[in-house]
Amino acid sequence: MIHFTRREFLKVSAAGTATAILAGCAQETERWVALEPYVRAPEEQLAGVPNWYASTCRMCPAGCGIIVRVMNGRAVKIEGNPEHPINRGKLCARGQSGLQLLYNPDRVTGAVRQEERGSRKFEPLAWNEAINTLYEKLDAAGDAVALWAGSTTSGHLYDLFARYAGAVGASAPLRHDLTSALNGVGTLTAANDALFGRSALPSYALAQADVIFSFGADFLGAWLSATGFGVEFGQFRSQPFGKRGLLVQFEPKMSITGAKADRWVPVQPGAEALVAAALLRIIADEGFGGPARAELAATLAGDVDLDAAAVTCDLALADLVALARAFAEAECPVAIPGGALAGASNGVAAVTAVQALNALAGAAGGAGGLGFMPAVPATLVAPPASSYADAQALIARMNAGEIKLLLVHGANPVYDLPPGSGIADALAKVGTIISFNPLVDETSALADYILPDRTYLEGWGYEVVQPGFQGLPVINSQQPVVGPFYDVRPTGDVLLTAARGIPAAAPALPWTDEVAFIKEQITALPKGASGGDDDEVRWARFLQHGGWWPEAAPESAAPELTAQGPVAAAPAAFEGDEGQYPYYLHLYPSVLLGDGRGASLPWLQGAPDPLTTVAWQTWVEINPATAQALGVDHGDMVHVESPHGAVEAPVYVFPAIRPDTVAIPLGQGHSDLGRYARERGSHALHLVGVTLDDAGANLAWSSVRVKITRLDKKQALARLESTIDPGEDIHVPF
Amino acid sequence: MAEERNNGHKWTMIVDLDKCTGCQACVVACHAENNVPISSEDEVIRGRANHWIRIERYWEGEYPNVKARFLPVFCQQCGNAPCEPVCPVYASYHSTEENVNIQVYNRCVGTRYCGNNCPYRTRLFNFWAPRFDEPLEQQLNPDVTVRSPGVMEKCTFCIQRIRRGREQANIEGRPLEDGEIVPACAQACPTDALIFGDKWNEHSRVAQMVPSERQFKLLENLGTEPAVYYLKGGETHVGE
Repeated sequence: MIHFTRREFLKVSAAGTATAILAGCAQETERWVALEPYVRAPEEQLAGVPNWYASTCRMCPAGCGIIVRVMNGRAVKIEGNPEHPINRGKLCARGQSGLQLLYNPDRVTGAVRQEERGSRKFEPLAWNEAINTLYEKLDAAGDAVALWAGSTTSGHLYDLFARYAGAVGASAPLRHDLTSALNGVGTLTAANDALFGRSALPSYALAQADVIFSFGADFLGAWLSATGFGVEFGQFRSQPFGKRGLLVQFEPKMSITGAKADRWVPVQPGAEALVAAALLRIIADEGFGGPARAELAATLAGDVDLDAAAVTCDLALADLVALARAFAEAECPVAIPGGALAGASNGVAAVTAVQALNALAGAAGGAGGLGFMPAVPATLVAPPASSYADAQALIARMNAGEIKLLLVHGANPVYDLPPGSGIADALAKVGTIISFNPLVDETSALADYILPDRTYLEGWGYEVVQPGFQGLPVINSQQPVVGPFYDVRPTGDVLLTAARGIPAAAPALPWTDEVAFIKEQITALPKGASGGDDDEVRWARFLQHGGWWPEAAPESAAPELTAQGPVAAAPAAFEGDEGQYPYYLHLYPSVLLGDGRGASLPWLQGAPDPLTTVAWQTWVEINPATAQALGVDHGDMVHVESPHGAVEAPVYVFPAIRPDTVAIPLGQGHSDLGRYARERGSHALHLVGVTLDDAGANLAWSSVRVKITRLDKKQALARLESTIDPGEDIHVPF
Repeated sequence: MAEERNNGHKWTMIVDLDKCTGCQACVVACHAENNVPISSEDEVIRGRANHWIRIERYWEGEYPNVKARFLPVFCQQCGNAPCEPVCPVYASYHSTEENVNIQVYNRCVGTRYCGNNCPYRTRLFNFWAPRFDEPLEQQLNPDVTVRSPGVMEKCTFCIQRIRRGREQANIEGRPLEDGEIVPACAQACPTDALIFGDKWNEHSRVAQMVPSERQFKLLENLGTEPAVYYLKGGETHVGE
């Protein structure tokens, strides 16, 4: 409960009035609602009868549609939006947990100023003072302002940031976080550009596919758009006449996608390009799949040592040939590159080699297989993802003292980048740092001010979805399903208000508030599936149905191969000498915590990891044979060291990982982010250096070797599975 | 007493193991819908992880020919339930309307006999009062009670949703439609591995899916007559 004294109430009212005058908000706008006691309940609310509001999930960048159950003005359950083309009524564990972001006990409840960076001592700040501070800092910074957004920053806010930056002559907002790196957004885009001349994320229709070869992509777990892929996978497994498709997963450590595969192939880390090139070579040499496919394969396949390729995936050559045949002779085969593959030192080459399999199969476009989303017929575009190199450039500018003001929204660079990036030192050289994040995360802890934005369940927005499904371009709507839980202000409004005083920016940002801006963008769209003849109706239906999408998928031509010559098959390079650092390090985003932003939510912390059944912890997955050689068992603490850093974590003896590889999930190891995340587990990104991939743009986060030393201590694993050895005397611990 | 066909509904769940990816969407959906508290790290270590639905994971074979199998387990809503006859206070009883096992929380005195007698280990005991750090209690579903310490609890097939759905159909003066009532787990499941319905409605999806050659029940030999049917996972071989 929030207790208000009369004095506080007057203070808040005064602040509200002041801001309203500053904002020039005398006229009525869409957002302002009258707060009334429930003695006279709002017309649409009946005690015990839920209201449902459509909006967009912002727990990851996939952009699933949600409907939120609201009872007497409070959100009590999030479900998938059955109409939405991406998730079709379904919702993953992370999406369900959005409520705990709204009701998180560690939210920043109002604008604050930090006494000293890193002190975590915050003084409350009245909002009109906070907005004035922002205005003064923006005014003083001029074009020396930098905006750092994340992959879940709402599209409208990115667009407002971009307009501001453009108007004052600052560089475009940076949109980079750990999720974009782990999803391999930059790598996938670059590979598609090289192969098809399409600089976009690929979309895969799996429902009608008969063969899927996935190289490292955990598309059912934490990769790109897992719920959408999950729906497609369900259909893939129940096709007409009992057909259930063939899924082959090539990856060094079994993911949940690997667990669902008909064949799991433990390929050596970094050798995926070689295997994909070998498949092309075999198809070309053996003429599998008819002359057209074989000929195309011949143009794409280079010289490949087939025996070496078979060895890297622990297969006999005959098995590899059988796989190549199954792929080439399928009616609608799909190859999906992703995961650690995209973080290898040869990331773009490897992703390109796998994507080339799609081209050869002629599976591109049409009902199944690889496709690209048709453009949204309007001025709205998905904001471009920035690469790690862009982030590095900004860090260099910070170090050179060129950045006077840094605004951070939806990203947590201190946690999201390896320590070697020097982000923490660079932040120290920035004049003022203002964070808009709802919780005190690692970056906000180094900020001077936190002006918390509303969470996605309290705020407005839109978002161009990428990648989509079913060939439908989608623009999601986001609307407040509940009133703001705390005294937090939408960042869009805060920015618009502050920018009004800056002569260079004011003409570029003429809107009274962000809702006016969003409405203007949305009503410019052509009529979508939900119809509506005039602007008001279209706007209402946009909110009611959870977004805009056309009634039917527009005709789209199959993407044409523009690449020439053979794909590169060279293996990836790894940092660390093989003798000194004997194991490949395989990092992966947790299915539940994602890149770490889920760690503040108890539902996600308490739900067991699907394969290890461990909750609340970080662990190191080691093959049983390797564990035996090292003399370690479940729960033994080990020291994992790479040339760049070290972490400690307990061992989980994992049967489905290569003996030369160890795997650590990402997501834990926060020094901030609230009580559920803080001082829990370790952050394996500390083992990663800052080398770039073959395009010189993306972080090669999967390119280090490690060594393991046994420590003389134990940490009991918090696992759901039975820990009773069938042979031992049963001791029940309660 | 074994269940007999009556005028009620026979709520049934089908779990298609070919589609379950272990993603935990159902687990979190259930926590959200049924106000199930989260166990702390220490409690999980002591074997007191608290989920009404859990995904069991089984390893098969050895590297490199290793497979992981997922098995979602929750109260099997037995037609011949071992938990029912052992309850001294009739807190655990069989509904003849819905034909599911009901747990009456305010009747339960916490003998834990039902939990001991359940072969599926799906009944959970509240050792402590559930704790929701303020303001997380705002997320609680007002349709479901928060169970007090000393009380057994378990999956209810989202009985609150069943009741709401039946009442709504009653108000509108129409029969219940298949698919109208969906428990939180089945609603969330991305791959559609969980399918729910009334088996005694012969037009329902479950009624049509139950006679599958892939179908089996957990610990079928015990004669508990579960209302949860599992469909065995398939396998496609290269070259098929």
